[in-house]
Amino acid sequence: MRTAPAALVAALCAAPAAGQTHILVVSGLTGEARFEATFHETATTILEAAHDRFAVPATHMTYLAATPATDPARIAGRSTKDEVLRVLEALAAGAEPDALIVIVLIGHGSASGGDDRLNLPGPDLSAEEFAAALGKFPTQRLVVVNAASASGGWIPALSGDRRTIITATRSATERHESYFGKYFAQAFASDGADTDKNDRISLLEVFEYARQEVQRYYEGERRMLTEHALLDDNGDGAGSLEPDPTTGDGAVARQIFLDQAARRGPVADSALAALQQRQDSLQTLVTALRGRKDTMPEAAYQRELERLLLDVARIGRQIRQRSEAGRR
Amino acid sequence: MRGLALLFALGWPVAGLSAQEAALDSLREVGNYEAAIAVARRANAQNTLGELLMAVGRPVDAARAFTAAIDLHQADSLRARLNLAVLQFQRGARDSALRAFDRFIDVYNGGGRLTSGELTAVAIAVGYLSVRDPNLARDALRAFDEAVATDSTNLEPRLLLGELFLQRYNGTEARTTFEAVLARHPHHARALLGLARTTRFEGSRQAIELVRQALQRNPRLVAAHALLAELSIELEDYVAAERAIARALETNPRSLRAMALRAAVAYLRGDAARFDATVEQVLSLNPAYAELYTTLAEVAARNRLYTQAADFARRAVALDADAWRGYALLGINQLRNGEMRRGRRNLETGFGGDPFDVWTKNTLDLLDTLDRYPETASPRFRFIVDGKESALLTPYLTEVAESAYDSLAARYGYRPATPIRVEVFPDHVDFSVRTVGLVGLGALGVSFGPVVAMDSPSARDAGAFNWGSTLWHEIAHTFHLGLSHHRVPRWFTEGLAVFEERRARSGWGDDVNPAFLMAYHQDRLLAVSRLNDGFMRPAYPQQIIFSYYQASLVCEMIEQSAGADALVRMLRAYGDGLTTFQVFRRVLGTTPDAFDASFDAWFRERFARPLAAITPPDTTVQVEPTRAGIADLARRRPGDFPAQLAMGQLLLRDGRPAEAIPYLERAKRLFPEYGGDDSPYALLAGIHRANGDLARAAAEFTALTAINERAYEAYGLLAGLRLTLGDTLAAMRALDAAMFIHPYDVGMHRELAELSELNHRYVMAIRERRAVVALDPVDRADALYRLARAHMSANQLDEARRIVLQALEIAPEFAQAQELLLQIHERRGS
Repeated sequence: MRTAPAALVAALCAAPAAGQTHILVVSGLTGEARFEATFHETATTILEAAHDRFAVPATHMTYLAATPATDPARIAGRSTKDEVLRVLEALAAGAEPDALIVIVLIGHGSASGGDDRLNLPGPDLSAEEFAAALGKFPTQRLVVVNAASASGGWIPALSGDRRTIITATRSATERHESYFGKYFAQAFASDGADTDKNDRISLLEVFEYARQEVQRYYEGERRMLTEHALLDDNGDGAGSLEPDPTTGDGAVARQIFLDQAARRGPVADSALAALQQRQDSLQTLVTALRGRKDTMPEAAYQRELERLLLDVARIGRQIRQRSEAGRR
Repeated sequence: MRGLALLFALGWPVAGLSAQEAALDSLREVGNYEAAIAVARRANAQNTLGELLMAVGRPVDAARAFTAAIDLHQADSLRARLNLAVLQFQRGARDSALRAFDRFIDVYNGGGRLTSGELTAVAIAVGYLSVRDPNLARDALRAFDEAVATDSTNLEPRLLLGELFLQRYNGTEARTTFEAVLARHPHHARALLGLARTTRFEGSRQAIELVRQALQRNPRLVAAHALLAELSIELEDYVAAERAIARALETNPRSLRAMALRAAVAYLRGDAARFDATVEQVLSLNPAYAELYTTLAEVAARNRLYTQAADFARRAVALDADAWRGYALLGINQLRNGEMRRGRRNLETGFGGDPFDVWTKNTLDLLDTLDRYPETASPRFRFIVDGKESALLTPYLTEVAESAYDSLAARYGYRPATPIRVEVFPDHVDFSVRTVGLVGLGALGVSFGPVVAMDSPSARDAGAFNWGSTLWHEIAHTFHLGLSHHRVPRWFTEGLAVFEERRARSGWGDDVNPAFLMAYHQDRLLAVSRLNDGFMRPAYPQQIIFSYYQASLVCEMIEQSAGADALVRMLRAYGDGLTTFQVFRRVLGTTPDAFDASFDAWFRERFARPLAAITPPDTTVQVEPTRAGIADLARRRPGDFPAQLAMGQLLLRDGRPAEAIPYLERAKRLFPEYGGDDSPYALLAGIHRANGDLARAAAEFTALTAINERAYEAYGLLAGLRLTLGDTLAAMRALDAAMFIHPYDVGMHRELAELSELNHRYVMAIRERRAVVALDPVDRADALYRLARAHMSANQLDEARRIVLQALEIAPEFAQAQELLLQIHERRGS
């Protein structure tokens, strides 16, 4: 396992709740031999990142795969429907009420007549069966990522309160091999997804990273884009291709982080606390200014932006210097 | 058939046909116009007589016959009225002719029952009228259809229908129509001619064969001789063109089409007296004959004389305000000269009059696309690149173009007018339309002189071409065209442009390969004196490619033997209107034929080693296509490049790389100039890399990339090896070269940026950081921050400040960007 950057591990959490994180990764039938390696790599990349970068305990992670012999040390069992449902039931029984439950499904999907399925060894798992299993988490926040092909139909089946549902495709008809899972995993494992540079990676950032990199991959290969990922976190049963937290989907995903510790505990240094407060106010002003950008003359906007950002930078430098001095 | 015609001519009755009609048809079909005229006179078939007299260039007599047909109320008097109007039209009395044609609409609308011949006359008249109302073309089609339906044995409306389809750019229907006639009459001359025209429209080289078939049937078919002349002009075979024109004029000395082509040949040959006399003659016969100038415009454009083409087209529309083709040609050539607004306006006028013109429609659609492309300026260039990749490509385009301009201006002592417009198309279809108005062009780039157009690297797969050398090549053409007043022949400008590529950067430009040397051995390369044929009428598919490289060798030899200035003097000599023969005499003091011999000697010396190592297969010796057979061949022929390479490849495939090395090394020594993807360099590099001998692997890749401009993967691997070996400068150079093959890998740009920064190459670092931003990475704030930092390193504080603010606008909490902003302000303050 890789070592997490100090800044990330030490980062404090601003999420609305601060319970434990539990992760279940299910890798389905592989079909062609090459998929066995790619599915396994996707799964292990996510699990390693969760452990190494986001400090999720190994005991909170379960990995089921079609061929456990591939990596018996990490794969807890065979990903049959019964086993998946059994693990979910156990998780529901043991998880803290405010826990974050992250379930990642990897594999090939299928659908006929509105019956959306994930191909598993033995009987497939249907979206309805899966939805029923999720019903056993009455208070926990749920994140379900169906990275399989033909997964678009899972959003209406699973959407609901406290749930963020991500699918690799926008419909059951997008049946070609999906690359979403690969880039979704890559987002957790690299720094590139932290687009707001706050040293934390939100689920929304992960989704955006994967969505854009999938698009880049298809463009690079000069192929038609045959998968369009969706995110739904407002419970309306309709996913968004490009979530916008200010108007619809994305507001919840923006607040979900795998590292669930509180970002800022009480700060003993009152001067530092004041600086942080000032910093927060300035950033609020920057956000407000950005909101007015289209209504302002460009030159005036740039002047005001620079003034605010210089203040932000100066305060930021003071915070860093004071924190550093405190650590010494 | 000839015998039957004779029977008819002698007045023998034949069941089912009027003897005279059948005889006339038969005689006319084979071009025996004099006999047909005699029969027509005897039969008092005045309209047919008039048509025959028209065919042999006797319009006054023809008019008399048509008038007689009308006065005598003969059965085909309606057709005679039409023919009188056609005669008026042909001598330039357009308004009165169109009024006469207009009356045929009344005939049609009169409700009477019309014969197939009368319906055909109506259709022809309406076809003429469609020049002012394009919608009438559909009515003409309908009338032709009715004529066919009324008498299915009447071939005339079918043939005219096919021609109308072709005039309306509908090759598919035209082909179907002509083929239907030929199914029943396989040797019908006009049907063969129609099919030849259709084939030419479709871009096939088979047209010439079909014309010849038509002329076998009717050796006096004026239109077929004219088409043969046109095709010969396209092939720059002016002797054949003149011959065909003469044959056409023998039959019809007043053929305007043939005379227009004669003027075109005279123009291309620089025969001003003949040109002026012919133009005067044409206009004296028909002062409104705009086709004279559209023909000249087309021919001029095909010979890259775009300014002259526009001038001719302008004269066409001045003669005839309804010359829609003239407007289209004027517009398209103005676009080639960079006159975008005027060009569009004339294309729109042309398209308004001829909405069936697919070339003009395609080009107007393309202009709509081009309007959306942002334009970026550098000192001597304007770059028009799709907005999606403008920010990415423009810095590289600027670098290559400006460098090419300086380098070529110094070498040629000539500076083309600026700005030069460079258009880059991410969709090859758009590039093709920009170049020829249609899809399907195989080229990568084109230079019209002041305008260069080319495929973007995104138009093709990675490694398909080097877009840097392509741009250099096209800019070289701009110099050649300007210096020679657009009179440089294709072979010389292409050869010189490839030669310039090779001089521009290591690895750029075509290089020698086994197929080329084998073609030399097999005598399939052309003599220098005939090299232009390799471009204009290649005898086999590879001949164009071979001719490019061979022509570049000719330039290389000329420079070596006569000095660099000789190439420039040759361009200037072409500009003086000299032929290749005259240019060789004046500049090189030799003739192309004599030059052939010295080139051959030079070639044999230049490639002595590989020519000895690549020889035609010995057909007397059987080589088993088995491992043992190849091994035996390699053992028996140690000086045979293909045998050594094949054995090395075989051993590699068998997993015996150590044993493969001696064969590959031997192959390399035999033909060190070969840098194909399957070359010994590539294979040896792979073996050494796998063995962990990184220095040797790097050396092989270095040698490969010095002679292969498309080795994208090799450049990437070479960069990695050089980096591992601690040579960051060489790694940087390899990645820089790779960008001109495939500039879309964000990771590669990041790596090159870091190496540039490490080596204090801040201009390159900024270019690379810009490229990362242009590729729209997910982590945009980080990309902007790094770009700002590069500007800061280059002491470009204003730009650094502007960009770091963009980074912080996205991510105000970005600590490193905050620090950079403060540093910039501190430094500016100090």
